Amino acid sequence: MKSYVAQRLGIAVLTLVGMSIVIFALLRLAPGDIVDILFSTAGYVNESEKQAILKELGMDRPYWIQYLDWIRQILTGDLGKSYRYDIPAWDVIRPLVPVTIELAVLSIIVAVVLGVPTGVISAVRQDSTLDYVLRVLSLAGLSMPSFWLGMVIILGMVSWLGWIPPLTYVKPTDNFKAHAIQFMLPALAVGYRSSALIMRITRSSLLEVMREDYIRTAWAKGQAGRVVIWRHALKNAILPVVTVIGIEFAFLIGGLVVTETVFNLPGVARFLVQAILWRDYPIVQNLVMFIAIVVILSNLFVDMLYGVLDPRVRYG
Amino acid sequence: MASPVGVPVDLVVVTAPARPGWGTQLGRFIRRKPLGAAGGAIMLLMVVTALLAPWLQTHDPIATDASYTLGRPSAEHWLGTDHLGRDIYSRIVHGAWVSLVVGLGSTLLGSVLGGIIGLLSAYAGGKTDLITQRLLDILQGLPLLVLALVMSASLGPSVRNVIIAISIPIVPRAARVIRASVLSIREMQYVEAARALGVRHLRTAFRHILPNTVGPFIVLCTAQLGSAILVEATLSFLGMGVPEPYPSWGRMLSVSAAEYAQKAPHLVLFPGIAISLAVFGSNLLGDALRDTLDPRLRGSR
Amino acid sequence: MSRMRASISLAIVSLVLVVALGTPAISQTPKSGGTLNVTQREDLPQGFAIHETQTSSTVWPSMPCFNNLVIYDPAKKVESLDTIVGELAEKWSWQENYRNLVFFLRKGVKWHDGQPFTSKDVKYTFDMIREAPDAPAKLRINPRKDWYANVDKIETPDANTVVFHLKRPQPSILMMLASGYSPIYAAHVPPANYRTSCVGTGPFKLKEWRKGEFVEYVKNPDYFVKGRPYLDGLKYVIIVERGTRTAALQSGAVDIPFPGETSKTQSEQLKKAVPQLVVTPVSENVNNNIIMNIKKPPFDNLKVRLAVSHAIDRRALIQAVYQGGGVVGAAMAPKPHAFWGLGEKELEALPGYGKAADEKAKAKKLMAEAGYGPDKPLKVEMVTRAIPVYVDMASFVINELKQIGIESTLKQIETAQWHAMAVRGEYQIGANLTGLGADDPDGNFYENYACGSPRNYTHYCNEQVQKMFDQQSQEVDQKKRLQQVYAIQKKLEDDAARPILSWRIDYFTLWPHVKGLIAQNNVYNFGRMQEVWRDK
Repeated sequence: MKSYVAQRLGIAVLTLVGMSIVIFALLRLAPGDIVDILFSTAGYVNESEKQAILKELGMDRPYWIQYLDWIRQILTGDLGKSYRYDIPAWDVIRPLVPVTIELAVLSIIVAVVLGVPTGVISAVRQDSTLDYVLRVLSLAGLSMPSFWLGMVIILGMVSWLGWIPPLTYVKPTDNFKAHAIQFMLPALAVGYRSSALIMRITRSSLLEVMREDYIRTAWAKGQAGRVVIWRHALKNAILPVVTVIGIEFAFLIGGLVVTETVFNLPGVARFLVQAILWRDYPIVQNLVMFIAIVVILSNLFVDMLYGVLDPRVRYG
Repeated sequence: MASPVGVPVDLVVVTAPARPGWGTQLGRFIRRKPLGAAGGAIMLLMVVTALLAPWLQTHDPIATDASYTLGRPSAEHWLGTDHLGRDIYSRIVHGAWVSLVVGLGSTLLGSVLGGIIGLLSAYAGGKTDLITQRLLDILQGLPLLVLALVMSASLGPSVRNVIIAISIPIVPRAARVIRASVLSIREMQYVEAARALGVRHLRTAFRHILPNTVGPFIVLCTAQLGSAILVEATLSFLGMGVPEPYPSWGRMLSVSAAEYAQKAPHLVLFPGIAISLAVFGSNLLGDALRDTLDPRLRGSR
Repeated sequence: MSRMRASISLAIVSLVLVVALGTPAISQTPKSGGTLNVTQREDLPQGFAIHETQTSSTVWPSMPCFNNLVIYDPAKKVESLDTIVGELAEKWSWQENYRNLVFFLRKGVKWHDGQPFTSKDVKYTFDMIREAPDAPAKLRINPRKDWYANVDKIETPDANTVVFHLKRPQPSILMMLASGYSPIYAAHVPPANYRTSCVGTGPFKLKEWRKGEFVEYVKNPDYFVKGRPYLDGLKYVIIVERGTRTAALQSGAVDIPFPGETSKTQSEQLKKAVPQLVVTPVSENVNNNIIMNIKKPPFDNLKVRLAVSHAIDRRALIQAVYQGGGVVGAAMAPKPHAFWGLGEKELEALPGYGKAADEKAKAKKLMAEAGYGPDKPLKVEMVTRAIPVYVDMASFVINELKQIGIESTLKQIETAQWHAMAVRGEYQIGANLTGLGADDPDGNFYENYACGSPRNYTHYCNEQVQKMFDQQSQEVDQKKRLQQVYAIQKKLEDDAARPILSWRIDYFTLWPHVKGLIAQNNVYNFGRMQEVWRDK
């Protein structure tokens, strides 16, 4: 087991290095840089002033030196200085991370709470009207753009209730009710989408397991249907679901970006879009690497969990 | 395909199954998988709308009309007008073309590119395979939207660039699926037999393996099409998608829809419904195709 | 006798009633206390560094922190030389026939960090902006250097007196100094610090800037105007999504909108949902215009430029793009919204303001004279910024030009590249918006039409007109100057230097409990919030 983990970690490190090169190169491919944008907020352009600022930011050095400098900084725990805000990147990102994490966790919870039970019902009542209805509803969730869902929710609220959720972050300790509303609505919008995938996997996985011989044997032996399902089938069907939850976490980021934008939540995902538009290289590079690390770690964790939950899988 | 001497009969059946006519297959499909057929019908509707857009429109989609802004759906403007007086129905009809071109274009580009990479990587095996896998991991590690965002910012706003931007994240996913499919087929004895008979590598690859990856490839394409359309809509909503004057469903939602939504809710409703319907159709079709073509992934009979 | 007494009492009673009821709401006593939430449309681009930016996204949330030497009276809607009142300057006087401007500064003013304010701070600020050779500090980006190009030197005879020595008379310099774009920086604070925080003398002290979320201010207890500010605090809430902004104002999550961002239709929508909202239409001092590259064909040909100007129906544009929420005008904002602009009557004679059909016919004729026609259409690429309001305007213009035989494709340029592209002249024709920091001909003409000015995107250069600019700038007789400015505006339109399409009107919508905030005819100048109070 240990050598497997070591091997996976080694590969993960290599992958991360590769990603860092890709993101570094892609960003510099983009036309315009922070200095162009700064000048655009001033409405004019001046070449010599531009050169001076490029020098001040260290952007006039050859690319490979800038890249190595960045890597060196990360390894020493220094996330660099935001080009836009002139303060350490970590100071800018730090207050945003808990918001996104909370939203992500809540969304996953909503997705599981919505997806697993409906998947079970759908599998048990396979091909019935209920099954079709649930499948169509969940597919609808997968098909709707989450930003549209968010927009419709907010516009509906303001039209009928004359009220919108808070626009600046409300700490749960300050006003729990407002905080709950602030997070539950976007969590519902994002979670609905993820629940669709979880529902489908739960359903298909459960169906496959239910066809297995040992299940049929248990039925033949006369054990009550429900007991059979809960004790035997679900235990084994849960594995792919866990995998999907892990993968969904990565897909979640896309939904979080637009949801945070529409609901005005001060999270990391919304901030990433702004940072890309502003060509704030230190922030974008570090945020993307952070996301990549989270994704890789979550994949590794899911694989480990797989190994623990499924006795058939062993890592020699 | 000539059946090599000495190979068991059932393997021959695997490589060259007797295929019923297209019409019979279609009928069977519609009967067995009504949801999938519905999805197929929706996709067909979308394709037809897209192709016939110039004839289906009632007005010029970019013509502004100052006298009739934010108009409700009426006999003259079936789905109403937007804040510049442009006919929403005509814009949605043309938006189908944009969504289709971008969605299909990026899906095909990404899937074909990824498929070729996956095929070659699986066939080559060994170190090449390992390195390619790691490189693909790099691309796949980044969430689809984030990668598309960065690519779009890098390349600049244009239809061609958006297609490229959305296709890149699809490549590793396509490569993975095709590679898995190829690996399972490669092991089959008939391929070994073919090689033993001296059939050259490339010929083996394309004549024997490729046709059997068609099933998973189609499933992959339809699965990715839905998400490609969604990513395009999201990019347009964030302002980094297809530029004016091409009407894009996603951009129709961002530009002024939310501002005027209370006076003219149809601005928000119709483009959103269009996107949802298109993705819904492609998902239904994809599900049904997967059930039919790839027996290992069957979720229901 | 009793009748006379009765009449006198009646007269007295009537007089009292008239005074009590007829007096305007100024008699309503402002209440101290409370906070207000203000809309901020995007995160501050460079923090509070007003001198390093030229956008209301910086000025609007930063003004509460600062003071100017002088400012436009916050109680007056239309700005002019006559409405300028003192802030850090108590009195001022012109000497030597408008060549020297002497300011007598207030005493006892303190910076937010406790340091005393003196004339040194004023000299420091303006020497830095005009890039005087011996300036002790330098701005990293300096968009308004040319505003003070006419300043020869600045003297500080004592801690409370500043003298601006001008190279030639320029009555307008007061207009620039009164703009929201002219705050005083502290001499003991490096200019770079203003990008992250704010040390000013203003009515509010910066409490916190949470990036991407909000900017929070608290009352400055040591403010030099006793009894001000009325409010205990201000919170500028950053809302990027337009739909969410409208929803926020409607639901009362914010009390005050961002200036220049509320269209006519939106205000109607808001008023319908919340009838007690107060809507004030006001000119923004921002105009839509067409920039054409005069250095390259085909727009080096005056006939083609004039054809473009004739072809665009200004009034239809206002209807189409702004649903009627705009006004026509030439290079300066028109009356009655502002001071220097040409009125409806004078505009009639200029290209583009007649009947649409006649104008298009004239345009087609000009195109024919220039060698274009139905068998030889003119194909151009129109550029505009990738922002909805620009794109809407460009779409309309493209449609208009189509009708006179000009086929244009639209290319959207990202913000980061717009100015560079325009300055380098890498375009043919573009749909543009221009905002002016002060309703003054000097600021406008020198910035946008003078030879060699970095923001003269069209590269229009006319020696004769340049002389007219200099002449009006030195003219001390306001009436004469007005006539000269009229003549310049006519000439600019006749030359199609930068055809002005319309001037934007903001439908500034406030909640009724917000008092003391008068929207002025310039989005950059009324954000001080000193006189604002809450009635509830």
